Amino acid sequence: MTRRPVFRDGVLRDNPVAVMLVGLCPAAAVTSRVIDAAWMSVGLFFVLLLTRLCQAILHALRAPDLSEPPAPGAPPQTSVFPLRPRWLGSLLLSSCFTAAFELILLAFAPSESASLGIYVPLLAVNCLVLERFQRSGPEDEPESPVRVIARSLREAAGLGAGFAICLVAISLVREILGSGTITLFAAGSFGGTIEVGGLSSVPVRALTYGGGGLLCLGYLAGFARLLGRRKRRSGATEAGRS
Amino acid sequence: MADVHQDTRPASLVVSPAPHVTGSASSARLSWSVAFCLLPAAAWGVFLFGVPALGVLGVAVAASLAAELLAGLAARRVTIGDGSAIVTGLLVGMLMPPGVPLYVPAAASGFGIIVAKQSFGGLGRNWMNPALAGVVVALLSWSDGMSRWLPVRSAAPTVTAVPPLEALRNALTAGAPRGGALEMLRASGYPWSGMDSSVVGWVNTHVLSLFGWHLPGGCFDLLVGNISGTIGGTSVPLLLLGAALLLSRRVIRWQLPVTYLAIFCLAAQVFGGLPAGGGWFVGNMLFQVFSGGGLVLGAFFMATDPVTSPLTRTGQLAYGLCLGVLTFFLRTFGSLGDGVPLAILLGNCLSPLIDRFTRPAFPTQRKAAPG
Repeated sequence: MTRRPVFRDGVLRDNPVAVMLVGLCPAAAVTSRVIDAAWMSVGLFFVLLLTRLCQAILHALRAPDLSEPPAPGAPPQTSVFPLRPRWLGSLLLSSCFTAAFELILLAFAPSESASLGIYVPLLAVNCLVLERFQRSGPEDEPESPVRVIARSLREAAGLGAGFAICLVAISLVREILGSGTITLFAAGSFGGTIEVGGLSSVPVRALTYGGGGLLCLGYLAGFARLLGRRKRRSGATEAGRS
Repeated sequence: MADVHQDTRPASLVVSPAPHVTGSASSARLSWSVAFCLLPAAAWGVFLFGVPALGVLGVAVAASLAAELLAGLAARRVTIGDGSAIVTGLLVGMLMPPGVPLYVPAAASGFGIIVAKQSFGGLGRNWMNPALAGVVVALLSWSDGMSRWLPVRSAAPTVTAVPPLEALRNALTAGAPRGGALEMLRASGYPWSGMDSSVVGWVNTHVLSLFGWHLPGGCFDLLVGNISGTIGGTSVPLLLLGAALLLSRRVIRWQLPVTYLAIFCLAAQVFGGLPAGGGWFVGNMLFQVFSGGGLVLGAFFMATDPVTSPLTRTGQLAYGLCLGVLTFFLRTFGSLGDGVPLAILLGNCLSPLIDRFTRPAFPTQRKAAPG
């Protein structure tokens, strides 16, 4: 049995933005400032993680399959979470956590909430899509519930981290070239904005438009493909040698 | 059965798949002929605006070549010899105003070559005209630098330089009294050259007065291109000369540019008077064509780019129609330059679709089609 590195896969092999091309709307829309991309990534990371956690716990508690009649003579199962369509549970959970994140953002970073706008509620959709992407465990041996939950969490963390890395990378390119600044958290005497010398007076403003976001996204996806191809090729030659 | 391994062919026969075209035509030759045909208009720009124009053209071409070389080295396939980078650089330079800061043509050429051309696989695989992509990025990014016009060298140094088209737009937004294009320009005090007034005056008194006609001032300046504007777009006669050369050498076909210009002129004549408060059919199409910018340059040298335009003649007619309409709307209601670069880029996006609709059918297929 080979155990796949689920966290690393989420970042590299199954990167949501660069490889699976999921969640392109926020990747193109909220990446014109680094701080926006960072908040968006944080939001997705936690909503996805919490949704996965709850789903995995409920799954581990073995919700009975109501579509099949219970076997005669079997003890009556106690229903913990009887909703059988799995996505309905995901939908409820991810929208709950998204609403919570929205409220937290409103309470502690209202200006950020304003600049992210509709993309905060849309986190629920992104999480729903990513939540559906779930690998089953190894089939040849039964796993303990704890292990299943841990793997699920690692996978969610990997996907969230992959999303975050892509968003922040795109936003760094777009903000440095497109506005000549890097906007981060304001802390103490630091106003939150770093000016990049030379570029801030004559930025490539075209990159701050939506098209610029798609352009960066395209290059990122292309770069990821190139890396993947190179890796496959080296893997093939290694296999050929051994 | 003869021995299949025995090669009995004469050595001079070359067996190859279609197309079986012989001749001296090659990408490099086409590029060089296009570059050569662009030279008269570019030289006119240098003559008109002096050293700054030469600097812009030089930087654009140099940056284009450097980008081509870099991209070629990165992809381990150096294609700098096909000359297309020179055409791209020349076109970028010719679409810039002469007073533009030099980083703008450099960045525009670099963007065009690296992003719009080489990223998609190089010449022949770029679905978008590289020069126009660079120019549109420059227009979006450095609109300030892209509107640094220079007066023609012969003008008095006090003259503020604005291309006639911009001046007309400014007069419209300032709420000047409405009328025809040239009347509005005269009312706003547009500075035509002294040569213009003497030539137009002479023609009016000695020739046209016999028929009772009268030419407004500015006609001569517009006709020869003695006006402020982009480096390569001011002189329509020299552009037409280059285009005629290309047409005679069959580098380009007439269908596309002629449809483009005709549809644009039609739209400008019929609807062009409406924004100025006139009625129908009072637009001034000749003013629109001759007033600098990049219409003629775009129609003959950029819309006809064989890579990004439709393949069939029918497709080219449809393409010209789209471009004419788009250019008119973008020029009349848009804010990005004179509308030509953006219109041709949008047309480039439509080009594969047009190709798809106008794919020629084999005779057998035609027979089999119902109806």
